Amino acid sequence: MNNINDELLNKYLDDDLSREENDLVKISIENSSEVKKRYETLLKVHEHLNSIEKESPSIDFTKLVMKKLNAKSVIARQQKYFLLSVLSMLGLIILCFVGYAFYQVISSMQPIQSSEIVTNYSKNLGDYFSNFFGQKNLTIFGSVLSFIMLISGYFLYDYQKHSKKTFSH
Amino acid sequence: MMMKNLTDVEIIESVKKGNQADYAVLIDRYKNKAFTMLKRMLKNDFDAEEVLMDCFLKAYNNLSTFKFESKFSTWFYRIVYNSALTKLSSAKRKIENEMSSVDDLHFLQSSYNADDLVKEDLSLLVKKIVNELPLKNAAVITMFYLEEMRTEEIADILQISVSNVKVILYRSRNLLREIIEKRNLFQEVI
Repeated sequence: MNNINDELLNKYLDDDLSREENDLVKISIENSSEVKKRYETLLKVHEHLNSIEKESPSIDFTKLVMKKLNAKSVIARQQKYFLLSVLSMLGLIILCFVGYAFYQVISSMQPIQSSEIVTNYSKNLGDYFSNFFGQKNLTIFGSVLSFIMLISGYFLYDYQKHSKKTFSH
Repeated sequence: MMMKNLTDVEIIESVKKGNQADYAVLIDRYKNKAFTMLKRMLKNDFDAEEVLMDCFLKAYNNLSTFKFESKFSTWFYRIVYNSALTKLSSAKRKIENEMSSVDDLHFLQSSYNADDLVKEDLSLLVKKIVNELPLKNAAVITMFYLEEMRTEEIADILQISVSNVKVILYRSRNLLREIIEKRNLFQEVI
């Protein structure tokens, strides 16, 4: 009878035994005061564990989490707008440059036959771009672009830092 | 319809559709249970609240990856448990952690003297011991009793076998049983 170990008693408590094992433990509890005492104490532990109340974080916890979530989405939205405005600015610069190139090519061309217009325009435009992106100009153009990227990066970083500071309070 | 009556799945779907405010219902639903588990694991109110906040933010950010294959609670408690482990992963705490389990249970049992055992109210004593349980034992006890999870679900969260969960559960209960037996013995002597 006393070979009812703690594991069997625990399984009995959780109704995790086969029918035969269950009967064996039940009989042991009824017939052995030692097993009965162990089981009753275990049952008491089980009841106490069941009755322990849960604890709570600070009262405004939910509000704080929601505030952080809002802040995060605001920052993400602002980052998106910032990136969009930088890209639009770059796009505008490129558009202006291409427009200027077209203007230069068209204004420098002499009157020609309509069948040669497309061929001549594309040839002249190609020449213009080849000249513009020559060794010297390409370096200047690259430097300006890098400078714009650096400035944008700095502003983005600074803006993010500022936003985080604002929302963390 | 009252948001509080909605199921987790319905709330998550609503949040995914852009109703961010509905997430507050999920927070209210899980914050106390998760906080209790974290407090028992981290043994500290401040850390528990900080980690819990991170868990809710992580869960929100990864809500798009939640495919409803498991219950939200299982998914969320896995985040909670792993975040607690990460918090405890500083060198000193990690060593303490690895040395815990059986040795800690024995230490816990012997750390209560006759005076503590007899004077203390039984409910308070049980609560006190539960709060001092090693990390895994605390997590298992909390999920089993407070969250009323099945051992299979707990095993899934802790990424251990079901039999391991049962061993941890039984050891924790046996520790408490032995302490109560010791208490009864002292009371009889007195």
